[in-house]
Amino acid sequence: MSVGLVPLAVPQPEPISAVEAALFVFVLLTAVATAMLRDVLAVIVVFAAYSLGMAIFYAILLAPDVAMTEAAIGAGVTTILLLLTIAKTVRPNEDRILERVDGTGLVVVGAFAAVLIATVNEFPAVGDGESMAWFNPAVSQYYIESGYADTGVENAVTAVLAGYRGFDTFGEATVVFAAGVATLIVLKRTVFTRE
Amino acid sequence: MAYEALITDAFLAVAAAFMLLAIGMLYRAVKGPTTQDRVLAVNVIGTNTVVVLAVLAAGLGETSLLDVALVYALLNFLMAVAISKFTVDRGGVL
Repeated sequence: MSVGLVPLAVPQPEPISAVEAALFVFVLLTAVATAMLRDVLAVIVVFAAYSLGMAIFYAILLAPDVAMTEAAIGAGVTTILLLLTIAKTVRPNEDRILERVDGTGLVVVGAFAAVLIATVNEFPAVGDGESMAWFNPAVSQYYIESGYADTGVENAVTAVLAGYRGFDTFGEATVVFAAGVATLIVLKRTVFTRE
Repeated sequence: MAYEALITDAFLAVAAAFMLLAIGMLYRAVKGPTTQDRVLAVNVIGTNTVVVLAVLAAGLGETSLLDVALVYALLNFLMAVAISKFTVDRGGVL
C-alpha cells in the first residue's frame, strides 16, 4: 500500500455490493435469531454465526485488524464465557423454538431503531473528501502524511492506535488483562496450569 | 485491464454465492432440532467464512484478509470443543 497525500481515492469495485447484500441478509437473520431463540445454548451457537458475518463485514470495509479481533473473540472467547455463564442457569424444556414477541416492547425498540437509522444518512460516504473528518487537516492530514514515516505501519488506523496512541492502547490492554485475571479468580479455575 | 476486472468480478461473485450458501445453512442453525445440529451448522458456516475471506482477499487484492482467514481457520474448532465438553460434562467448559 502506497502512502500518498490523498489516500482517499481507494477504488471500490462495484460488484462488492452483491457480497454485501448477501452478507447483510445473513447478519440480519442471525441477529433476529439470536434475539428470538428460546434455548440459550442455541442462542450462543447462532451468536457465533453472527460474529462470523460481522468479521466478513469488517474485512470488506478494509479493517483487517478489527476483523481479526472479531475472529479471535467471537470464535473463541465469547462462546466460552457465555457457556460458563449458562452453566449456572437452567434451560427451558419447551417445544417452542422461538420466543414470543412482546408487542409494546417491539414498538419501543422499533422507534429507537428508527431514530438510530435516521442518523445513518449523516455519515460521510467511504472515501468522501468533503467529510467532517477533513475540517481539521492539522490532525487528520498529519497522520496520513507522516504516519508511515513516524511508525512504519502501513495501515493508518493501526498507526494511530498502536503508534501515536500507544500508551492509551497499552492502558486498555492492562484493563482487559486485569479483568481477565479477576474473572479467573472468580471462577477459581487454574486454566493455564494443569496438574 | 478488462481481463483483470473480469477476474475480480468472478472472485466477488463466488464470495457472494458462498454467502448465499451460508444463509441456507443458517436454517439448520436456527431450526435445530438438537444442539449438535446447530454446532455442526455453525461450524460449516465458519469454514464457509474462511473460504469467503480467502476469496475476498484474492478478489480485492488485500493480502491482510488472509491473516483473518487464518485466525478463523485456527479458532473455528474451539466452539465445537467447548459445547461438546459442556453437553457431556455440564459446566466443565474450560
